[in-house]
Amino acid sequence: MKTVLKMGASAALCLGVLAHPAFAEDNIVKIGVVAAESGSFVSAGHTLPAGVGLAVKQINDAGGINVGGKNYKLEMVKRDDRTDIATAIAATQELVRDVKVQAIFGSETHDFTLAMAKITQPAKIIHFAGNSTLAKILTPDSVKPGGEDHYLFQSEPQEFQRSGSTARGVLTLLEPLLGYKPKKSVMIVGNDATGQFLSSYYFKALKAEGQDVPDIIFYPPDTTDFSPFLTRAKSLNPDIIHFWYNGDSTLTALPQALELGAAKSYFLFGVDPGIWKEKQLSADVPVAMSCVPVCWGESSNPKAKAYFDAYFAAGAPHGVTSSVSLLYHDYVHFLAEAWEKAGSFDPDKTVEALLTLHHQGVVSDDLTFNPTHQVTHATEVCAAAPGGAISCSMQQPPAEAPKS
Amino acid sequence: MDIFIQQILNGLSIASVITLIAIGVTLIFGLTGIINFAHGEFLMIGGIVTWLAVSAGLGFPLAVVLAILAVGLMGYILERGLFRFTLERPTNGFIVSLGLIVVLQHVVVLFWNPNQKSIPRPLTTVWEVGGVRIASVRVMVIAITIAVVALSFRMITASRYGRALRASVEDRDTAALMGIPVRRYITGVFVLGSALAGLGGALLIALFPITPFTGGTMVMKGFAVALIGGLGNIYGAVAAGLILGIVEGFSAGYGFSQWTDAYSFALMILVLIVRPHGLFGGTSGPRMAS
Repeated sequence: MKTVLKMGASAALCLGVLAHPAFAEDNIVKIGVVAAESGSFVSAGHTLPAGVGLAVKQINDAGGINVGGKNYKLEMVKRDDRTDIATAIAATQELVRDVKVQAIFGSETHDFTLAMAKITQPAKIIHFAGNSTLAKILTPDSVKPGGEDHYLFQSEPQEFQRSGSTARGVLTLLEPLLGYKPKKSVMIVGNDATGQFLSSYYFKALKAEGQDVPDIIFYPPDTTDFSPFLTRAKSLNPDIIHFWYNGDSTLTALPQALELGAAKSYFLFGVDPGIWKEKQLSADVPVAMSCVPVCWGESSNPKAKAYFDAYFAAGAPHGVTSSVSLLYHDYVHFLAEAWEKAGSFDPDKTVEALLTLHHQGVVSDDLTFNPTHQVTHATEVCAAAPGGAISCSMQQPPAEAPKS
Repeated sequence: MDIFIQQILNGLSIASVITLIAIGVTLIFGLTGIINFAHGEFLMIGGIVTWLAVSAGLGFPLAVVLAILAVGLMGYILERGLFRFTLERPTNGFIVSLGLIVVLQHVVVLFWNPNQKSIPRPLTTVWEVGGVRIASVRVMVIAITIAVVALSFRMITASRYGRALRASVEDRDTAALMGIPVRRYITGVFVLGSALAGLGGALLIALFPITPFTGGTMVMKGFAVALIGGLGNIYGAVAAGLILGIVEGFSAGYGFSQWTDAYSFALMILVLIVRPHGLFGGTSGPRMAS
């Protein structure tokens, strides 16, 4: 009987030690990532866990974070939303309720972010989304303490800023390459919610720069044969065709545009000069490209090279939109700094710290959130001359949205 | 006028690859009753094999042959290992094909990442005739499609194999009683349809970059063409492919461009309401004695 009791006690002791995960996890802070690692948005989606993962590794390698006198390591818990909004919602619920993350990063898609925020905000989870499109929900009322979106932060400049800086950069860089001031632009845009939303801003930005824009040609998402759309654009005799906004679609469309001789020059939104070089693309006319927010293949940003060296060394593939990772990477560091400043993981204190900090990131030396939780910084635009030489410049955003 | 002619050429080019998919879909359905929604992924694998071969330094023609052989072999393995067990219950085959879509996409993502893959244009010449630009690579795709369609016609209509095939479609059990090895024919048709998808994938990547998720859009259009033409009707697939290509070209060029896909599928719905077996008549799958 004694032996049985002893064995039982020993087993209970062993099980007790094994079944005390808090002992092992006390100093771990979990950060969730919800992104499209498969499906049609995979190109941008896979940059989220890559960017967040790199930041987590950098922070942990440097000893973790010190919050309230105690050291913590970060752990990233990622979920693939498969470019499916229902999956994104389920993943967010799991991360919030079961995994109990302290913060969530994602998604790269506007609609998904709105759905996710319906879960993260009531649960008081700090939520960073690299969407330029959250202005309608991030209002003074919604972000105030107790407001609907008090814990939601937009880690990409507002769309009028991004569109404004991009349009100005494209026209500035293409003019000397064309040898004259371009006057007529046609936009070719993916017909989904994001495309419709973004193009309305870019259209206004082009008009504000004095462009005649006779047509916005929408194409169904997942289009591969752009020839009918490009032929339509060609019939308008444009100086510039602006491919807006999906980098993968743009790379599919450009060779077809060059074959058709659809315009005198082109702008490829969201295509990095690195991809231009890797794919050994060339054109007999000038081609402008923009990155969100900083390019990896060629950049005027002094910190870009070191960041992307580390990013690719960590195993991330060279993608059309690898730079999107910066809309998340910098904000993991920013959040860590906020937790240290707040001395607590309390979400309200964290929000207060996020709103007062000036963070030195890769994208900018002075990253700050405005009172409606939105960030402002420049966008990089590059242009390839017909001979192949690429030049880049950071374009500051306009202070105000153009009047429509 | 040059823009109008250009749009007609665009439509022919669009029709080519879709027709290749539709022929595969329609052949497989006609004989086996399997609605293989993973057929688009077969096409994608064909593109990936071509990309791997060209990246390894092989010429495009050899890469095309490899794509046809690889996807044909994959079709053989999947038919023998999976679909043959679903022949008596085509709904199961349909569900299996849906599962295969996810599996094949993720296998490709696992080994070759999700990014776009492209190859250098196998033909780069662009002819300009009276303001109309004709890319030689598109002419090549159209020519290969015409050749494959002609061969398929010949095989189905004039060969002994084709007659046996048509007999098997009409009545599988009677055909078997007459000594036709129906099971082998089913495998053969599945392999043929798969090989055509492999060819379609090789031609597709010659024209456009592909991703592991390219198949989904293409197979939807392939099914639309097969349904408009009449499921199981190879002639119908070709004619419907041309109709759909021209409709897409003109709707993008002159209509509400964002509705291009909607026009195609609206046409499909209209045809199915007015002519439930398609414009040129189709089957409801193989007939079997219960």
